[in-house]
Amino acid sequence: MSPLLFWIFAALMLVFGIGVIINRNPVASALSLVASFLCLAALFVGLNAYFIAVIQVLVYAGAVMVLFLFIIMLLDLREEQRRRFNLLAVAGGALVSLGFVAELVLVLRKFTLGQKPFAPIAQVDDVRQIGMTLFSTHNLPLQVTGVLILVATIGVVVLSKRDLK
Amino acid sequence: MPAPLAPLTLEIVVLLLGIVLLGFESFSKGGDRGWMARWSVAILSVVFAWSFFTTGDTGVDPSHAFYCADPLALFFKRIALLTTIIVMVISLEFRPVLEKFIPGIQPGSGTGEFFALPVFTCAGLMFMASAVDFLLIFVALELVTISFYVLVAYMRRQNASLEAGVKYLILGALSTGFLVYGITWIFGLTGETNLARITQVLPSLLAEGGRLHGSESALLFALMLLLIALGFKVAAAPLQFWVPDVYQGAPTPVTAFLSVGSKAAGFIVLARVLQTVVFLPSIAPKVLSVLGLLAVLTLLYGNLAALPQDNLKRMLAYSSIGHAGYLLVAFASIDPAAGNLYRTQTAIGFYLFGYLLMTLLSFLVMTVVSRHSRGDDIVHFNGLSKRSPFLAFGMLIAMLSLAGIPFTAGFYGKLLVFSTAIARQNFLLVSVGIITVAAGFYFYLKVVSAMYWKEPTEDQPVTASGLTKFTVAALCTAIFYFGIFPQSLLSMLPSDKAAPVAVSPAPHK
Repeated sequence: MSPLLFWIFAALMLVFGIGVIINRNPVASALSLVASFLCLAALFVGLNAYFIAVIQVLVYAGAVMVLFLFIIMLLDLREEQRRRFNLLAVAGGALVSLGFVAELVLVLRKFTLGQKPFAPIAQVDDVRQIGMTLFSTHNLPLQVTGVLILVATIGVVVLSKRDLK
Repeated sequence: MPAPLAPLTLEIVVLLLGIVLLGFESFSKGGDRGWMARWSVAILSVVFAWSFFTTGDTGVDPSHAFYCADPLALFFKRIALLTTIIVMVISLEFRPVLEKFIPGIQPGSGTGEFFALPVFTCAGLMFMASAVDFLLIFVALELVTISFYVLVAYMRRQNASLEAGVKYLILGALSTGFLVYGITWIFGLTGETNLARITQVLPSLLAEGGRLHGSESALLFALMLLLIALGFKVAAAPLQFWVPDVYQGAPTPVTAFLSVGSKAAGFIVLARVLQTVVFLPSIAPKVLSVLGLLAVLTLLYGNLAALPQDNLKRMLAYSSIGHAGYLLVAFASIDPAAGNLYRTQTAIGFYLFGYLLMTLLSFLVMTVVSRHSRGDDIVHFNGLSKRSPFLAFGMLIAMLSLAGIPFTAGFYGKLLVFSTAIARQNFLLVSVGIITVAAGFYFYLKVVSAMYWKEPTEDQPVTASGLTKFTVAALCTAIFYFGIFPQSLLSMLPSDKAAPVAVSPAPHK
């Protein structure tokens, strides 16, 4: 990917990311998040990681965000729009994140590793390789992830059901 | 003699127990789900006994493994199992309160998951104890945290519980973000996620002409992110702001579980992560001084903020921050020249085991008393010695051990921790520690004085089930036994004399 495209998509992603926080309208916020995910997918394409890019669009920008929007529209969130910014909280948050960015910049200025190009990976079958890794060498974390999802599902049902039997 | 079993079977049995419990629960008639807790106690006890017959050898080269079973891992697995067993006993006593605050259609309905989820949490804690790869560390940690999100918010008809759940969810997600970002940095620097391989490649990367030469600040940055995330898990100041509200709002058995299980698992992960970097001469002093600062802050905050508390649950929350401080003292006193962490590992292992006994004992007694007095303020304990001399005695032992009276497990734990600091001539840490121990005496003995020297506000006797009485008696005995004969516990922990059975990434190979 040409560096120009990288900068365009990275900048867009950040702009939409800020939009998620700043928008008082929850639907606008959620749509900004979709846009930010799409830009991230574009960055993945730029890294030749097509599989992750597709999954990013399908799962996050598609399924998860549709669900998000449904929930937001089902709930009455007008209260949120009327809320005023708490200036002290905004100033505090800005201070913390500026401090973090400053530290990041200081670290990155001394950091030369990023300028060395990676050796190109031989042309491989993306999906096949991910499948092989997940189900052979990385099987144990995958199984534990399965348990994690089971627990999350149980939790959602327990916490959202109206009457528990 | 039967052949020793592979260590992973322990986790598999625990996970199967959780799934089978859920399966039976969905077909069971009637409201009472107490059998789930009793079955868990029975089977987890069997797994606990079983853990003494497993081999430490997983049959996989540690530098290609996700999972190890060195003595330290097995010891922390036992801590997780024992914690879960006692939490189940506390949950049984807690049922009447729980039923009041969940929207069940009949008494007892809806409590099933409250007894099944801790079993999954236990499995997660056991995986964390064994994880030697950042991938497994992350997945196991998330398994534990997500089940805690649900358990903390379980009493959803009570606002305090919901508020605690939301606070824990938001701050927990933030700390997870820091953890993942830190892991990403480490992976970007070293190209590895396995802790043993990271230990192997770091010296050459940092050496003259290595890829990281001159930019060790990137490594320090990654470590800072990991420390923030793990500091949140173990409730170290200044990352402890969530603790008092979450501990007070959560259902009492969950608070007990959080304050022991979550902390123990956080500390073993911290020990494993530090092991990768603490022997690098250019990194060690900086990391150790940050740990020392965290220790001092945590000790002072936890113990001084506990002084004015009137609510026992909140006081125990601050006290759990304070105890995290003592454990951090042992980390800040790591000797980079020693080549291993045995001294610190032994100190934190013993301390956490003693902490388990006394904290769970106090939560168990508190659950019984607050059910009868309808509240967990210290006032509700007034004159407990007249209402139930046995429970008052149990609470007395717990408080004395938490304060650190000689001949209790709590005393010997503190002794071990301070001896690591004295060995490193870290007198600042020792003196701050002694000041905070003195502060601890004040607020722990406040409870004792309420129980023994105040007149009871109610005269109705406090009763407990046979299982609870047995557990209280067993915990009291254990506190004294391990306080007087610490050697029986120390022999299970790694030491210089007996080399660990399996994995302990040796940096100088």
